[in-house]
Amino acid sequence: MAELAGIYAASHGPLIVRKWNAVTPEHRQVLTSAFTELGRRISAARLDALVIISPDHWVNFFIDNLPSICVGVGATHPGPNEPWLMKEYPHTTLPGHPQLAGHILETAFDAGFEPSVSHRMILDHGFCIPLMKAGVDPRLPIVPVVFNDIEPPFPSVRRCYAWGEMLAKAIRSMPGDLRVGVLASGGLSHSIGEATMGLVEEEFDRECLAHFSKGDPGALCDFLTQRLPQVGNGASEIRNWVAAHGAAGGRGFELINYSPVPEVIVGCGFASWNPVSR
Amino acid sequence: MRDYWLSKLFFDLQDPAKAAEYRAGREQVLARYELEPQVRTAVETDDVAFLAQRVNPYLLRFYFLVAGMSEEEFLRRIRATGEANG
Repeated sequence: MAELAGIYAASHGPLIVRKWNAVTPEHRQVLTSAFTELGRRISAARLDALVIISPDHWVNFFIDNLPSICVGVGATHPGPNEPWLMKEYPHTTLPGHPQLAGHILETAFDAGFEPSVSHRMILDHGFCIPLMKAGVDPRLPIVPVVFNDIEPPFPSVRRCYAWGEMLAKAIRSMPGDLRVGVLASGGLSHSIGEATMGLVEEEFDRECLAHFSKGDPGALCDFLTQRLPQVGNGASEIRNWVAAHGAAGGRGFELINYSPVPEVIVGCGFASWNPVSR
Repeated sequence: MRDYWLSKLFFDLQDPAKAAEYRAGREQVLARYELEPQVRTAVETDDVAFLAQRVNPYLLRFYFLVAGMSEEEFLRRIRATGEANG
């Protein structure tokens, strides 16, 4: 059976690429080091496939039909659509892993989840910035999973945790000897297009990270269920980290770095989990 | 509640060709969307506060980038919506 060989999380944010030159040298060094360490850990895990959980920033979906969770099952996925990112990360397509994606879907439906399916999921900056900045080999097959972190109603925090648990079960029951990683992309606090735009809520971020470190999933879910509606809208992407925490069985969280970076208007967090064998 | 056609306009302008057409002349692009008169006026007058109540914040932010409003001006106007709401 396949092995869950690594679980990771990283912030994204267009300004990390689009306004990189406006980032202070100190913060550039911090972000570069964090992404480099993330890439080192991913490389060291010798992955055969990487499941990435990210929001869709109005690229694949619109309010005509907005799935809570969608799994990309394509053999390839179109690369970034944003013109500013296409210059920096010029991949028109990235490889998929239809067999693994299909197995995740089957496991999800058996477990009482009903994700939607995309045979052509465009990988926007949420997927591509961590891949690019961490230097992940672009030949590594990707299974993209979109969580709706952008437009209410959102999947509940507890449901995201449970989804992560299911994802780990799916990976570990995948026939073959694949080494599979999970990467949560997004968060921590940020605020986009609302009255608090640009605000990074460091106190909230640090409290959130403390909950991940303690490992108590119930307390983490209670905290986020209560606090997410009170902070900037971008923090909703922490749902993706919660799924990664679920995949890790709520244990083994290790913070690589946290830095509030006002130039990119994101509380930037980077982490990995030591997968618990079951 | 979201304004569908306003949201659709902002969503569609992610296409660089449509965005270029819009920047060249808003009138012919706006004519394709069934905008309520007061919504259309708000678009034509760059009324950030009015529009912010009717679309997703990410689409709002993206739209004003496309429409050519400076980052500083957008921040000033969107932050003012918070001050106005107390």
